[in-house]
Amino acid sequence: MTTGRTDPVNLGTSVDTVSLATPSRPTRRRSAKGSRRLQDFAVRWGALLAIGLVWELAARLANNLFFPPPSRIVERFFELWFSGPPSTFFLTESVATNILPSLSRLLGGWAAAVVFGVLLGVAIGRSKVVGDFVEPIIHFVRAIPPPALIPVFFILLGFGNEMRVTLIAFAVIWPVVLNTIDGVRSVEQLHLDTGRVFEFDWRKRFFGIVLPSASPKIFAGMRVALSVAIIMMVISEMVGRPDGIGNIILGAQRTYRMVDMWAGILLLGILGYVLNAILSAVETRITRWHRGSREGVS
Amino acid sequence: MSIQTTGTDLLTIEGLGHVYQGAQPFEAIGKLDFTVPEGAFVSIVGPSGCGKTTMLRCLSGLMKPTRGEVRLEGEPVTGVPRDLALVFQDYSRSLFPWRTVAGNIAYVLPRNLPKAERAARIQESLDAVGLGEAGAKYPWQLSGGMQQRVAIARALAYRPAILLMDEPFASVDAQTRAELEDLMLAVRKQFGMTILFVTHDIDESIYLADRVLVLSKSPSTIVESLDIDLPYPRDQVSTRELEDFVHLRSHVARLIRDQSMKGRPAV
Repeated sequence: MTTGRTDPVNLGTSVDTVSLATPSRPTRRRSAKGSRRLQDFAVRWGALLAIGLVWELAARLANNLFFPPPSRIVERFFELWFSGPPSTFFLTESVATNILPSLSRLLGGWAAAVVFGVLLGVAIGRSKVVGDFVEPIIHFVRAIPPPALIPVFFILLGFGNEMRVTLIAFAVIWPVVLNTIDGVRSVEQLHLDTGRVFEFDWRKRFFGIVLPSASPKIFAGMRVALSVAIIMMVISEMVGRPDGIGNIILGAQRTYRMVDMWAGILLLGILGYVLNAILSAVETRITRWHRGSREGVS
Repeated sequence: MSIQTTGTDLLTIEGLGHVYQGAQPFEAIGKLDFTVPEGAFVSIVGPSGCGKTTMLRCLSGLMKPTRGEVRLEGEPVTGVPRDLALVFQDYSRSLFPWRTVAGNIAYVLPRNLPKAERAARIQESLDAVGLGEAGAKYPWQLSGGMQQRVAIARALAYRPAILLMDEPFASVDAQTRAELEDLMLAVRKQFGMTILFVTHDIDESIYLADRVLVLSKSPSTIVESLDIDLPYPRDQVSTRELEDFVHLRSHVARLIRDQSMKGRPAV
Protein backbone atom coordinates (compact mmCIF):
# COMPACT_ATOMS: atom_id res chain seq x y z
CA MET A 1 0.00 0.00 0.00
CA THR A 2 2.90 2.36 0.60
CA THR A 3 3.95 2.55 -3.03
CA GLY A 4 0.38 3.30 -4.03
CA ARG A 5 0.50 6.71 -2.35
CA THR A 6 2.17 8.51 -5.22
CA ASP A 7 0.25 6.67 -7.88
CA PRO A 8 -2.89 8.78 -8.12
CA VAL A 9 -0.72 11.74 -9.01
CA ASN A 10 1.14 9.72 -11.62
CA LEU A 11 -2.09 8.37 -12.98
CA GLY A 12 -3.52 11.85 -13.21
CA THR A 13 -0.59 13.41 -14.96
CA SER A 14 -0.06 10.55 -17.34
CA VAL A 15 -3.66 10.63 -18.50
CA ASP A 16 -3.44 14.40 -18.85
CA THR A 17 -0.35 14.42 -20.99
CA VAL A 18 -1.32 11.47 -23.12
CA SER A 19 -4.89 12.47 -23.79
CA LEU A 20 -4.68 16.21 -24.11
CA ALA A 21 -1.56 16.48 -26.22
CA THR A 22 -3.15 15.19 -29.41
CA PRO A 23 -6.31 17.29 -29.72
CA SER A 24 -4.59 20.49 -28.61
CA ARG A 25 -2.50 20.54 -31.79
CA PRO A 26 -5.35 20.94 -34.30
CA THR A 27 -6.85 23.50 -31.90
CA ARG A 28 -4.20 25.98 -32.83
CA ARG A 29 -4.95 25.61 -36.51
CA ARG A 30 -8.75 25.58 -36.53
CA SER A 31 -9.55 27.37 -33.32
CA ALA A 32 -13.39 27.46 -33.26
CA LYS A 33 -14.02 23.86 -34.25
CA GLY A 34 -10.91 22.67 -32.46
CA SER A 35 -11.74 24.25 -29.14
CA ARG A 36 -15.19 22.68 -29.18
CA ARG A 37 -13.67 19.33 -29.86
CA LEU A 38 -11.17 19.92 -27.08
CA GLN A 39 -14.04 20.76 -24.78
CA ASP A 40 -15.91 17.56 -25.68
CA PHE A 41 -12.74 15.63 -25.19
CA ALA A 42 -12.06 17.23 -21.79
CA VAL A 43 -15.60 16.53 -20.60
CA ARG A 44 -15.48 12.92 -21.71
CA TRP A 45 -12.12 12.08 -20.23
CA GLY A 46 -12.62 14.38 -17.28
CA ALA A 47 -15.66 12.34 -16.22
CA LEU A 48 -13.68 9.13 -16.55
CA LEU A 49 -10.86 10.63 -14.52
CA ALA A 50 -13.28 11.79 -11.82
CA ILE A 51 -14.82 8.33 -11.52
CA GLY A 52 -11.33 6.87 -11.35
CA LEU A 53 -10.41 9.22 -8.53
CA VAL A 54 -13.56 8.45 -6.55
CA TRP A 55 -12.98 4.74 -7.03
CA GLU A 56 -9.34 5.15 -5.95
CA LEU A 57 -10.36 7.00 -2.82
CA ALA A 58 -13.13 4.56 -1.94
CA ALA A 59 -10.89 1.55 -2.53
CA ARG A 60 -8.19 3.01 -0.31
CA LEU A 61 -10.61 3.81 2.48
CA ALA A 62 -12.27 0.41 2.28
CA ASN A 63 -8.93 -1.39 2.07
CA ASN A 64 -10.65 -4.55 0.85
CA LEU A 65 -8.66 -7.45 -0.60
CA PHE A 66 -11.18 -7.96 -3.40
CA PHE A 67 -11.30 -4.33 -4.47
CA PRO A 68 -7.78 -2.98 -4.89
CA PRO A 69 -7.32 0.69 -5.85
CA PRO A 70 -7.30 1.32 -9.63
CA SER A 71 -3.80 2.75 -9.49
CA ARG A 72 -2.48 -0.63 -8.50
CA ILE A 73 -4.54 -2.34 -11.18
CA VAL A 74 -3.13 -0.03 -13.85
CA GLU A 75 0.37 -0.54 -12.52
CA ARG A 76 -0.06 -4.30 -12.62
CA PHE A 77 -1.62 -4.04 -16.07
CA PHE A 78 1.55 -2.47 -17.46
CA GLU A 79 3.75 -4.84 -15.48
CA LEU A 80 2.00 -7.90 -16.87
CA TRP A 81 1.82 -6.95 -20.53
CA PHE A 82 3.79 -3.81 -21.31
CA SER A 83 7.06 -4.15 -19.42
CA GLY A 84 8.94 -6.22 -22.00
CA PRO A 85 12.22 -5.41 -23.72
CA PRO A 86 12.33 -2.71 -26.44
CA SER A 87 12.99 -5.42 -29.06
CA THR A 88 9.42 -6.65 -28.70
CA PHE A 89 7.96 -3.14 -28.54
CA PHE A 90 7.83 -3.46 -24.71
CA LEU A 91 5.33 -6.27 -24.92
CA THR A 92 5.88 -9.08 -22.47
CA GLU A 93 5.92 -12.77 -23.23
CA SER A 94 2.49 -13.09 -21.72
CA VAL A 95 1.12 -11.03 -24.60
CA ALA A 96 2.18 -13.77 -27.01
CA THR A 97 1.02 -16.65 -24.82
CA ASN A 98 -2.24 -15.18 -23.54
CA ILE A 99 -3.48 -12.12 -25.40
CA LEU A 100 -2.60 -13.14 -28.95
CA PRO A 101 -4.38 -16.52 -28.82
CA SER A 102 -7.43 -14.81 -27.33
CA LEU A 103 -7.36 -12.09 -29.94
CA SER A 104 -6.93 -14.50 -32.82
CA ARG A 105 -9.78 -16.76 -31.76
CA LEU A 106 -11.96 -13.72 -31.14
CA LEU A 107 -11.25 -12.24 -34.56
CA GLY A 108 -11.23 -15.65 -36.27
CA GLY A 109 -14.61 -16.64 -34.89
CA TRP A 110 -16.04 -13.22 -35.60
CA ALA A 111 -14.67 -13.07 -39.17
CA ALA A 112 -15.95 -16.56 -39.96
CA ALA A 113 -19.36 -15.59 -38.60
CA VAL A 114 -19.39 -12.41 -40.70
CA VAL A 115 -18.51 -14.24 -43.93
CA PHE A 116 -20.91 -17.14 -43.45
CA GLY A 117 -23.53 -14.92 -41.85
CA VAL A 118 -23.60 -12.55 -44.81
CA LEU A 119 -23.75 -15.43 -47.31
CA LEU A 120 -26.54 -17.14 -45.39
CA GLY A 121 -28.38 -13.87 -44.91
CA VAL A 122 -28.20 -13.03 -48.60
CA ALA A 123 -29.43 -16.51 -49.55
CA ILE A 124 -32.35 -16.28 -47.14
CA GLY A 125 -33.18 -12.67 -47.92
CA ARG A 126 -33.02 -12.96 -51.70
CA SER A 127 -34.65 -16.35 -52.16
CA LYS A 128 -38.16 -16.96 -50.95
CA VAL A 129 -37.72 -20.72 -51.06
CA VAL A 130 -34.59 -20.75 -48.91
CA GLY A 131 -36.16 -18.18 -46.62
CA ASP A 132 -39.32 -20.20 -46.04
CA PHE A 133 -37.32 -23.32 -45.24
CA VAL A 134 -34.50 -21.92 -43.18
CA GLU A 135 -35.90 -18.90 -41.35
CA PRO A 136 -37.97 -20.79 -38.73
CA ILE A 137 -34.97 -23.02 -38.02
CA ILE A 138 -32.76 -19.98 -37.56
CA HIS A 139 -35.15 -18.35 -35.14
CA PHE A 140 -35.19 -21.55 -33.10
CA VAL A 141 -31.45 -22.15 -33.10
CA ARG A 142 -30.56 -18.59 -32.24
CA ALA A 143 -32.84 -18.74 -29.22
CA ILE A 144 -30.51 -21.30 -27.63
CA PRO A 145 -28.05 -19.55 -25.30
CA PRO A 146 -24.66 -20.46 -26.83
CA PRO A 147 -22.94 -21.31 -23.51
CA ALA A 148 -25.49 -24.12 -23.15
CA LEU A 149 -23.85 -25.73 -26.14
CA ILE A 150 -20.36 -25.79 -24.61
CA PRO A 151 -20.73 -29.45 -23.52
CA VAL A 152 -21.80 -30.38 -27.06
CA PHE A 153 -18.82 -28.58 -28.54
CA PHE A 154 -16.54 -30.31 -25.97
CA ILE A 155 -17.68 -33.66 -27.30
CA LEU A 156 -17.47 -32.67 -30.95
CA LEU A 157 -14.38 -30.49 -31.00
CA GLY A 158 -12.38 -31.14 -27.84
CA PHE A 159 -11.12 -28.62 -25.30
CA GLY A 160 -8.89 -26.45 -27.41
CA ASN A 161 -8.95 -23.75 -29.99
CA GLU A 162 -11.39 -25.32 -32.47
CA MET A 163 -14.05 -25.55 -29.81
CA ARG A 164 -13.56 -21.91 -28.86
CA VAL A 165 -13.51 -20.46 -32.35
CA THR A 166 -16.59 -22.49 -33.27
CA LEU A 167 -18.41 -21.44 -30.14
CA ILE A 168 -17.68 -17.76 -30.83
CA ALA A 169 -18.67 -18.08 -34.49
CA PHE A 170 -21.86 -19.92 -33.59
CA ALA A 171 -22.87 -17.34 -31.03
CA VAL A 172 -22.23 -14.26 -33.13
CA ILE A 173 -23.43 -15.40 -36.54
CA TRP A 174 -27.11 -14.66 -35.73
CA PRO A 175 -27.02 -10.87 -35.50
CA VAL A 176 -25.08 -10.87 -38.79
CA VAL A 177 -27.56 -13.22 -40.49
CA LEU A 178 -30.66 -11.39 -39.27
CA ASN A 179 -29.32 -7.95 -40.16
CA THR A 180 -28.20 -9.15 -43.57
CA ILE A 181 -31.65 -10.60 -44.27
CA ASP A 182 -33.18 -7.31 -43.27
CA GLY A 183 -30.66 -5.40 -45.38
CA VAL A 184 -31.01 -7.39 -48.60
CA ARG A 185 -34.79 -7.36 -48.35
CA SER A 186 -34.76 -3.58 -48.34
CA VAL A 187 -32.78 -3.28 -51.59
CA GLU A 188 -34.52 -0.77 -53.88
CA GLN A 189 -36.44 -2.54 -56.65
CA LEU A 190 -35.47 0.30 -58.97
CA HIS A 191 -31.77 -0.38 -58.34
CA LEU A 192 -32.31 -4.01 -59.34
CA ASP A 193 -34.29 -2.92 -62.41
CA THR A 194 -31.45 -0.57 -63.29
CA GLY A 195 -29.09 -3.52 -63.01
CA ARG A 196 -31.28 -5.52 -65.37
CA VAL A 197 -31.47 -2.68 -67.89
CA PHE A 198 -27.68 -2.48 -67.99
CA GLU A 199 -27.32 -6.26 -68.08
CA PHE A 200 -25.45 -6.76 -64.81
CA ASP A 201 -24.29 -10.33 -64.28
CA TRP A 202 -24.76 -11.92 -60.85
CA ARG A 203 -21.38 -10.69 -59.66
CA LYS A 204 -22.15 -7.08 -60.53
CA ARG A 205 -25.60 -7.43 -59.02
CA PHE A 206 -24.27 -8.89 -55.80
CA PHE A 207 -21.21 -6.70 -55.25
CA GLY A 208 -22.61 -3.62 -56.99
CA ILE A 209 -26.18 -3.47 -55.71
CA VAL A 210 -27.16 -6.01 -53.06
CA LEU A 211 -24.10 -5.80 -50.83
CA PRO A 212 -23.73 -1.99 -50.83
CA SER A 213 -27.47 -1.54 -50.24
CA ALA A 214 -27.36 -3.88 -47.28
CA SER A 215 -24.02 -2.67 -45.93
CA PRO A 216 -25.37 -0.20 -43.33
CA LYS A 217 -27.49 -2.98 -41.81
CA ILE A 218 -24.69 -5.53 -42.11
CA PHE A 219 -22.32 -3.23 -40.25
CA ALA A 220 -24.86 -2.81 -37.48
CA GLY A 221 -24.96 -6.60 -37.19
CA MET A 222 -21.18 -6.82 -37.22
CA ARG A 223 -20.94 -4.40 -34.32
CA VAL A 224 -23.40 -6.37 -32.19
CA ALA A 225 -21.55 -9.54 -33.18
CA LEU A 226 -18.23 -8.08 -32.06
CA SER A 227 -19.43 -7.29 -28.58
CA VAL A 228 -20.99 -10.74 -28.23
CA ALA A 229 -17.77 -12.29 -29.58
CA ILE A 230 -15.77 -10.81 -26.70
CA ILE A 231 -18.24 -12.23 -24.19
CA MET A 232 -18.08 -15.65 -25.81
CA MET A 233 -14.29 -15.54 -25.98
CA VAL A 234 -14.07 -15.01 -22.21
CA ILE A 235 -16.64 -17.69 -21.45
CA SER A 236 -14.93 -20.19 -23.76
CA GLU A 237 -11.59 -19.54 -22.08
CA MET A 238 -12.95 -20.16 -18.61
CA VAL A 239 -13.51 -23.78 -19.56
CA GLY A 240 -11.34 -26.37 -21.24
CA ARG A 241 -7.58 -26.11 -21.73
CA PRO A 242 -6.22 -23.19 -19.67
CA ASP A 243 -5.00 -20.29 -21.76
CA GLY A 244 -6.17 -16.87 -22.84
CA ILE A 245 -7.41 -13.77 -21.08
CA GLY A 246 -10.49 -15.48 -19.66
CA ASN A 247 -8.27 -18.07 -18.05
CA ILE A 248 -6.03 -15.38 -16.55
CA ILE A 249 -9.02 -13.79 -14.88
CA LEU A 250 -10.42 -17.04 -13.57
CA GLY A 251 -7.01 -18.35 -12.49
CA ALA A 252 -6.18 -15.13 -10.67
CA GLN A 253 -9.48 -15.15 -8.85
CA ARG A 254 -9.03 -18.78 -7.77
CA THR A 255 -5.58 -18.03 -6.33
CA TYR A 256 -6.61 -14.77 -4.70
CA ARG A 257 -4.47 -12.62 -7.01
CA MET A 258 -7.13 -9.93 -7.11
CA VAL A 259 -4.99 -7.26 -8.75
CA ASP A 260 -4.21 -9.65 -11.62
CA MET A 261 -7.88 -10.44 -11.98
CA TRP A 262 -8.80 -6.78 -12.22
CA ALA A 263 -5.93 -6.15 -14.64
CA GLY A 264 -7.42 -8.83 -16.89
CA ILE A 265 -10.84 -7.22 -16.68
CA LEU A 266 -9.28 -3.85 -17.53
CA LEU A 267 -7.55 -5.46 -20.53
CA LEU A 268 -10.88 -6.82 -21.78
CA GLY A 269 -12.47 -3.42 -21.47
CA ILE A 270 -9.70 -1.75 -23.43
CA LEU A 271 -9.73 -4.51 -26.04
CA GLY A 272 -13.45 -4.16 -26.61
CA TYR A 273 -13.21 -0.40 -26.79
CA VAL A 274 -10.34 -0.39 -29.29
CA LEU A 275 -11.86 -3.07 -31.56
CA ASN A 276 -15.18 -1.29 -31.61
CA ALA A 277 -13.50 2.02 -32.39
CA ILE A 278 -11.65 0.46 -35.33
CA LEU A 279 -14.83 -1.12 -36.69
CA SER A 280 -16.74 2.13 -36.30
CA ALA A 281 -14.05 4.00 -38.22
CA VAL A 282 -14.19 1.47 -41.06
CA GLU A 283 -17.98 1.59 -41.04
CA THR A 284 -18.08 5.39 -41.20
CA ARG A 285 -15.74 5.33 -44.17
CA ILE A 286 -17.55 2.65 -46.14
CA THR A 287 -21.12 3.78 -45.47
CA ARG A 288 -20.49 7.51 -45.70
CA TRP A 289 -22.88 7.63 -48.69
CA HIS A 290 -25.68 6.30 -46.51
CA ARG A 291 -25.68 9.24 -44.14
CA GLY A 292 -25.04 11.68 -46.99
CA SER A 293 -27.90 10.42 -49.14
CA ARG A 294 -30.35 10.39 -46.27
CA GLU A 295 -29.56 13.93 -45.20
CA GLY A 296 -29.84 15.04 -48.83
CA VAL A 297 -28.44 18.21 -50.29
CA SER A 298 -30.91 19.46 -52.86
CA MET B 1 -32.26 21.24 -90.85
CA SER B 2 -34.33 18.18 -90.31
CA ILE B 3 -33.39 14.96 -88.63
CA GLN B 4 -33.06 12.03 -90.95
CA THR B 5 -34.48 8.65 -90.19
CA THR B 6 -33.44 5.69 -92.28
CA GLY B 7 -36.97 4.46 -92.54
CA THR B 8 -36.22 0.97 -91.22
CA ASP B 9 -38.06 0.04 -88.05
CA LEU B 10 -35.86 -0.39 -85.01
CA LEU B 11 -38.60 -1.30 -82.57
CA THR B 12 -41.75 -3.13 -83.59
CA ILE B 13 -44.70 -3.68 -81.28
CA GLU B 14 -47.37 -6.10 -82.43
CA GLY B 15 -50.62 -6.79 -80.63
CA LEU B 16 -49.11 -5.96 -77.23
CA GLY B 17 -51.48 -6.42 -74.32
CA HIS B 18 -51.13 -6.93 -70.59
CA VAL B 19 -53.48 -8.05 -67.88
CA TYR B 20 -52.43 -7.95 -64.22
CA GLN B 21 -53.59 -11.19 -62.66
CA GLY B 22 -55.03 -11.28 -59.19
CA ALA B 23 -58.30 -11.36 -57.33
CA GLN B 24 -59.54 -8.61 -59.61
CA PRO B 25 -57.69 -8.93 -62.92
CA PHE B 26 -56.84 -5.52 -64.36
CA GLU B 27 -56.32 -5.01 -68.06
CA ALA B 28 -53.67 -2.30 -68.26
CA ILE B 29 -52.92 -2.53 -71.98
CA GLY B 30 -55.59 -3.45 -74.51
CA LYS B 31 -53.84 -3.76 -77.84
CA LEU B 32 -50.90 -1.76 -79.06
CA ASP B 33 -49.43 -1.82 -82.57
CA PHE B 34 -46.76 0.65 -83.55
CA THR B 35 -43.19 0.95 -84.77
CA VAL B 36 -40.30 3.21 -83.92
CA PRO B 37 -38.15 3.93 -86.99
CA GLU B 38 -34.39 4.08 -86.57
CA GLY B 39 -33.25 7.58 -85.62
CA ALA B 40 -36.75 8.77 -84.72
CA PHE B 41 -37.89 10.60 -81.62
CA VAL B 42 -41.29 9.19 -80.75
CA SER B 43 -43.22 10.41 -77.76
CA ILE B 44 -46.17 8.74 -76.16
CA VAL B 45 -48.69 10.84 -74.33
CA GLY B 46 -51.90 9.86 -72.62
CA PRO B 47 -54.25 10.59 -69.74
CA SER B 48 -53.04 9.64 -66.28
CA GLY B 49 -53.49 5.96 -65.55
CA CYS B 50 -53.16 4.91 -69.17
CA GLY B 51 -50.70 2.13 -68.48
CA LYS B 52 -47.64 4.01 -69.73
CA THR B 53 -45.29 2.52 -67.18
CA THR B 54 -46.64 -0.98 -67.78
CA MET B 55 -46.09 -0.49 -71.49
CA LEU B 56 -42.49 0.65 -71.01
CA ARG B 57 -41.72 -2.26 -68.72
CA CYS B 58 -43.04 -4.63 -71.39
CA LEU B 59 -41.14 -2.88 -74.18
CA SER B 60 -37.88 -2.95 -72.25
CA GLY B 61 -38.17 -6.62 -71.36
CA LEU B 62 -38.41 -5.97 -67.60
CA MET B 63 -41.86 -7.54 -67.67
CA LYS B 64 -43.39 -10.22 -69.85
CA PRO B 65 -46.58 -9.02 -71.55
CA THR B 66 -49.66 -11.23 -71.52
CA ARG B 67 -50.07 -11.04 -75.28
CA GLY B 68 -48.27 -9.78 -78.33
CA GLU B 69 -44.68 -9.36 -79.28
CA VAL B 70 -41.96 -6.73 -79.08
CA ARG B 71 -39.09 -6.93 -81.56
CA LEU B 72 -35.89 -4.90 -81.42
CA GLU B 73 -33.85 -4.96 -84.62
CA GLY B 74 -35.96 -7.90 -85.72
CA GLU B 75 -35.19 -9.97 -82.60
CA PRO B 76 -38.03 -10.77 -80.18
CA VAL B 77 -37.47 -9.09 -76.80
CA THR B 78 -37.44 -11.62 -73.98
CA GLY B 79 -35.02 -10.17 -71.42
CA VAL B 80 -33.68 -6.64 -71.47
CA PRO B 81 -31.76 -6.42 -74.78
CA ARG B 82 -28.20 -5.09 -74.91
CA ASP B 83 -29.16 -2.37 -77.37
CA LEU B 84 -31.75 -0.83 -75.11
CA ALA B 85 -31.47 1.49 -72.14
CA LEU B 86 -34.18 2.87 -69.92
CA VAL B 87 -34.15 6.15 -67.99
CA PHE B 88 -36.52 6.02 -65.03
CA GLN B 89 -38.58 8.83 -63.63
CA ASP B 90 -37.25 8.31 -60.12
CA TYR B 91 -33.59 9.19 -60.67
CA SER B 92 -32.81 9.31 -56.95
CA ARG B 93 -33.60 5.62 -56.57
CA SER B 94 -32.07 4.61 -59.87
CA LEU B 95 -28.62 6.08 -59.37
CA PHE B 96 -26.38 4.22 -56.93
CA PRO B 97 -25.78 6.52 -53.95
CA TRP B 98 -22.67 4.56 -52.92
CA ARG B 99 -20.90 5.44 -56.18
CA THR B 100 -19.71 8.78 -57.44
CA VAL B 101 -21.19 10.24 -60.59
CA ALA B 102 -18.30 8.90 -62.65
CA GLY B 103 -18.52 5.60 -60.75
CA ASN B 104 -22.20 5.26 -61.60
CA ILE B 105 -21.38 5.62 -65.27
CA ALA B 106 -18.29 3.41 -65.15
CA TYR B 107 -20.24 0.58 -63.55
CA VAL B 108 -22.55 0.07 -66.55
CA LEU B 109 -19.67 -0.10 -69.03
CA PRO B 110 -18.43 -3.52 -70.13
CA ARG B 111 -15.66 -4.94 -67.96
CA ASN B 112 -13.29 -5.52 -70.86
CA LEU B 113 -13.34 -1.92 -72.08
CA PRO B 114 -9.78 -0.50 -72.18
CA LYS B 115 -9.07 1.99 -69.42
CA ALA B 116 -8.46 4.96 -71.70
CA GLU B 117 -11.67 4.40 -73.62
CA ARG B 118 -13.59 3.94 -70.41
CA ALA B 119 -12.41 7.32 -69.14
CA ALA B 120 -13.09 8.94 -72.51
CA ARG B 121 -16.64 7.61 -72.63
CA ILE B 122 -17.40 8.78 -69.12
CA GLN B 123 -16.08 12.24 -69.91
CA GLU B 124 -17.88 12.43 -73.23
CA SER B 125 -21.25 11.53 -71.78
CA LEU B 126 -20.80 13.86 -68.80
CA ASP B 127 -19.84 16.68 -71.15
CA ALA B 128 -22.89 15.94 -73.29
CA VAL B 129 -25.20 16.58 -70.33
CA GLY B 130 -23.19 19.58 -69.13
CA LEU B 131 -21.76 17.92 -66.04
CA GLY B 132 -18.14 17.62 -67.14
CA GLU B 133 -16.85 18.77 -63.75
CA ALA B 134 -19.12 16.72 -61.51
CA GLY B 135 -17.57 13.27 -61.97
CA ALA B 136 -16.10 13.07 -58.47
CA LYS B 137 -19.30 14.11 -56.71
CA TYR B 138 -21.91 11.77 -55.29
CA PRO B 139 -25.42 11.84 -56.79
CA TRP B 140 -26.94 12.99 -53.50
CA GLN B 141 -24.72 16.06 -53.55
CA LEU B 142 -26.46 17.22 -56.74
CA SER B 143 -29.85 18.84 -57.38
CA GLY B 144 -32.73 16.79 -58.83
CA GLY B 145 -32.24 18.07 -62.36
CA MET B 146 -28.53 17.32 -62.21
CA GLN B 147 -29.20 13.81 -60.92
CA GLN B 148 -31.46 13.13 -63.88
CA ARG B 149 -28.68 14.44 -66.14
CA VAL B 150 -26.36 11.87 -64.57
CA ALA B 151 -28.92 9.13 -65.25
CA ILE B 152 -29.10 10.29 -68.88
CA ALA B 153 -25.29 10.40 -69.13
CA ARG B 154 -25.14 6.86 -67.76
CA ALA B 155 -27.55 5.67 -70.44
CA LEU B 156 -25.59 7.51 -73.15
CA ALA B 157 -22.29 5.98 -72.10
CA TYR B 158 -23.88 2.56 -72.40
CA ARG B 159 -24.37 3.30 -76.13
CA PRO B 160 -27.79 1.75 -76.68
CA ALA B 161 -29.43 1.80 -80.12
CA ILE B 162 -32.67 2.94 -78.49
CA LEU B 163 -33.30 4.94 -75.36
CA LEU B 164 -36.61 4.56 -73.53
CA MET B 165 -37.55 7.31 -71.11
CA ASP B 166 -40.30 6.97 -68.53
CA GLU B 167 -41.60 10.46 -67.67
CA PRO B 168 -38.02 11.49 -66.97
CA PHE B 169 -38.73 15.14 -66.24
CA ALA B 170 -41.91 14.72 -64.21
CA SER B 171 -40.30 15.56 -60.89
CA VAL B 172 -38.17 18.59 -61.75
CA ASP B 173 -39.21 22.25 -61.82
CA ALA B 174 -40.38 23.98 -65.01
CA GLN B 175 -37.13 25.84 -65.64
CA THR B 176 -35.02 22.69 -65.31
CA ARG B 177 -37.53 20.82 -67.39
CA ALA B 178 -37.09 23.18 -70.34
CA GLU B 179 -33.31 22.86 -70.04
CA LEU B 180 -33.51 19.08 -69.98
CA GLU B 181 -35.82 19.03 -73.00
CA ASP B 182 -33.29 21.00 -75.03
CA LEU B 183 -30.58 18.75 -73.67
CA MET B 184 -32.43 15.72 -75.07
CA LEU B 185 -32.67 17.34 -78.51
CA ALA B 186 -28.95 18.13 -78.46
CA VAL B 187 -28.00 14.68 -77.21
CA ARG B 188 -30.14 13.03 -79.85
CA LYS B 189 -28.37 15.01 -82.55
CA GLN B 190 -24.91 14.33 -81.13
CA PHE B 191 -25.39 10.59 -80.64
CA GLY B 192 -27.88 9.92 -83.44
CA MET B 193 -29.98 7.94 -81.02
CA THR B 194 -33.49 6.58 -81.38
CA ILE B 195 -35.65 7.73 -78.49
CA LEU B 196 -39.04 6.62 -77.20
CA PHE B 197 -40.22 9.19 -74.72
CA VAL B 198 -43.21 8.68 -72.44
CA THR B 199 -44.75 11.73 -70.83
CA HIS B 200 -48.06 13.10 -69.60
CA ASP B 201 -47.11 16.62 -70.70
CA ILE B 202 -48.71 17.43 -74.08
CA ASP B 203 -46.43 20.38 -74.90
CA GLU B 204 -43.36 18.36 -74.10
CA SER B 205 -44.46 15.44 -76.26
CA ILE B 206 -44.93 17.68 -79.30
CA TYR B 207 -41.91 19.90 -78.70
CA LEU B 208 -39.48 16.99 -78.62
CA ALA B 209 -40.80 14.49 -81.14
CA ASP B 210 -41.10 13.61 -84.81
CA ARG B 211 -44.12 11.52 -84.00
CA VAL B 212 -46.60 11.60 -81.15
CA LEU B 213 -48.70 8.59 -80.17
CA VAL B 214 -51.79 9.42 -78.15
CA LEU B 215 -52.93 6.64 -75.84
CA SER B 216 -56.37 5.96 -74.45
CA LYS B 217 -57.16 5.18 -70.84
CA SER B 218 -56.58 1.60 -69.63
CA PRO B 219 -56.94 -0.84 -71.29
CA SER B 220 -54.82 1.35 -73.50
CA THR B 221 -54.86 1.47 -77.27
CA ILE B 222 -53.45 4.06 -79.64
CA VAL B 223 -56.04 6.73 -80.34
CA GLU B 224 -54.03 8.57 -82.92
CA SER B 225 -50.54 8.75 -84.35
CA LEU B 226 -49.43 12.24 -85.37
CA ASP B 227 -46.41 13.10 -87.44
CA ILE B 228 -44.83 16.32 -86.21
CA ASP B 229 -43.34 18.43 -88.98
CA LEU B 230 -42.12 21.31 -86.86
CA PRO B 231 -38.77 22.66 -88.10
CA TYR B 232 -35.44 21.97 -86.37
CA PRO B 233 -33.63 23.37 -84.47
CA ARG B 234 -36.47 23.73 -82.04
CA ASP B 235 -36.62 26.61 -79.63
CA GLN B 236 -38.43 26.83 -76.32
CA VAL B 237 -40.00 30.17 -77.24
CA SER B 238 -40.35 30.41 -81.02
CA THR B 239 -41.29 26.76 -81.70
CA ARG B 240 -44.02 26.93 -79.11
CA GLU B 241 -45.58 30.00 -80.71
CA LEU B 242 -45.75 28.49 -84.22
CA GLU B 243 -49.26 28.10 -85.51
CA ASP B 244 -48.67 24.40 -86.23
CA PHE B 245 -47.52 23.81 -82.68
CA VAL B 246 -50.56 25.51 -81.22
CA HIS B 247 -52.87 23.49 -83.45
CA LEU B 248 -51.17 20.23 -82.63
CA ARG B 249 -51.33 20.98 -78.94
CA SER B 250 -55.04 21.76 -79.09
CA HIS B 251 -55.68 18.65 -81.10
CA VAL B 252 -53.83 16.36 -78.70
CA ALA B 253 -55.35 18.07 -75.69
CA ARG B 254 -58.81 17.49 -77.10
CA LEU B 255 -58.07 13.81 -77.75
CA ILE B 256 -56.83 13.34 -74.21
CA ARG B 257 -59.73 15.22 -72.69
CA ASP B 258 -62.16 13.06 -74.63
CA GLN B 259 -60.34 10.03 -73.32
CA SER B 260 -60.46 11.03 -69.69
CA MET B 261 -64.11 12.14 -69.94
CA LYS B 262 -65.10 8.75 -71.29
CA GLY B 263 -67.51 6.94 -69.00
CA ARG B 264 -68.02 10.00 -66.86
CA PRO B 265 -71.40 11.73 -66.71
CA ALA B 266 -71.58 14.95 -68.70
CA VAL B 267 -71.32 18.13 -66.62
